[in-house]
Amino acid sequence: MNDDAEQKLDALFTAARADERDTSRVEFGFETRLAARLREESGGSLFAWAWKLCPFFAALALAASWWGHVNLRAEAATQIVAEATQENAEQVLLAYMTGVSR
Amino acid sequence: MAEVLPPADADLVSATLGGDDDAFAELVRRHKRRVFGTASRFARDDHQLDDIAQEVFLRAFRHLGKFRGEAPFEHWLARITVSACYDFLRKERRIRAQVSLDAHDFDTRDTKLDAALAAGRARELVEYAMRRLTAEERLIITLSELEERSIREIAELTGWSEANVKVRAFRARQNLKKILEASHER
Repeated sequence: MNDDAEQKLDALFTAARADERDTSRVEFGFETRLAARLREESGGSLFAWAWKLCPFFAALALAASWWGHVNLRAEAATQIVAEATQENAEQVLLAYMTGVSR
Repeated sequence: MAEVLPPADADLVSATLGGDDDAFAELVRRHKRRVFGTASRFARDDHQLDDIAQEVFLRAFRHLGKFRGEAPFEHWLARITVSACYDFLRKERRIRAQVSLDAHDFDTRDTKLDAALAAGRARELVEYAMRRLTAEERLIITLSELEERSIREIAELTGWSEANVKVRAFRARQNLKKILEASHER
C-alpha cells in the first residue's frame, strides 16, 4: 500500500467524522418510547416467568405420574398377598413360625 | 442564596433502584446524546438507530444494580453502548448473509474515493465500504477512526487486550483500503 492511499483514507475518515448525522429527529420523544417499552417488559414479566416455569411443571407432572404408577403396582402386589393370606392363614402362620414353606 | 446542584449520576442510579422512574428518565436525558452519537455510526437509518439506543438503555436499566460507581456512569454506559452496537452488527451481518449484499446497497455512483470526497459524500462512502467488513472490523474502525478513541479506551470498551486491538485495527484498515481500491478500479 502506498502513502497516497493512506493519506486518502485519512482524508476520507476526517471528512466522515466532520459529517455527523443529525439524530435530533430520533431523539425526540425517545424517553416516552423507552418508558413504554420498559413498562411493557415489566408488565409481561409475570407471563414470561410462567412460560419459563413450563419445563418445571412438565417434569413435576411426569414425576407424579411415575410415582403413582409405581405405587399402584406395589399396592396391587400387597393386595394379592393379603388375599392369599386370608385364604391360607394357617399355612402362612406355620411357615412364619417354622421357616418352612410347602 | 445557594444554588441547588443537580443530582449526581450515582444518586440517580440509587433512586432508580429504589423505584423512582423519573430518576432513570433523567439519566436517559443526560446521556442519550452520547449514546445516539455512537449508535449513529452503526445504524443505517433512524429506525435502526432508535432500536440500538433503546437496547442500550434497556440493558442499562436491567443491569443497573451492577453499577458500582467506581468509574463514571458514562463510562459504564459507553461499554454497554459498544456491546449493543457490536451485537447489532453481528445480527445484521447474519441477516445480510441470507439476503444478497447488493440488495442493501444504496447509491454507489460515488464509490470512487476522490469523487466522494469532492462531492461531500465521505460518510456514505465509508458506510458503503464498512458494510463489507466483518462486525469486529467495523466496530474497531468506527471506534478508532471515526470516534478517534485511543487503543486503551477501545480495549476497555470492548474487553479485548490492547495488543489485540492494535492488530485488529491494523487488519481492519488494510481490508478497508482493499475494498476501496477494488471499488475504485471498477
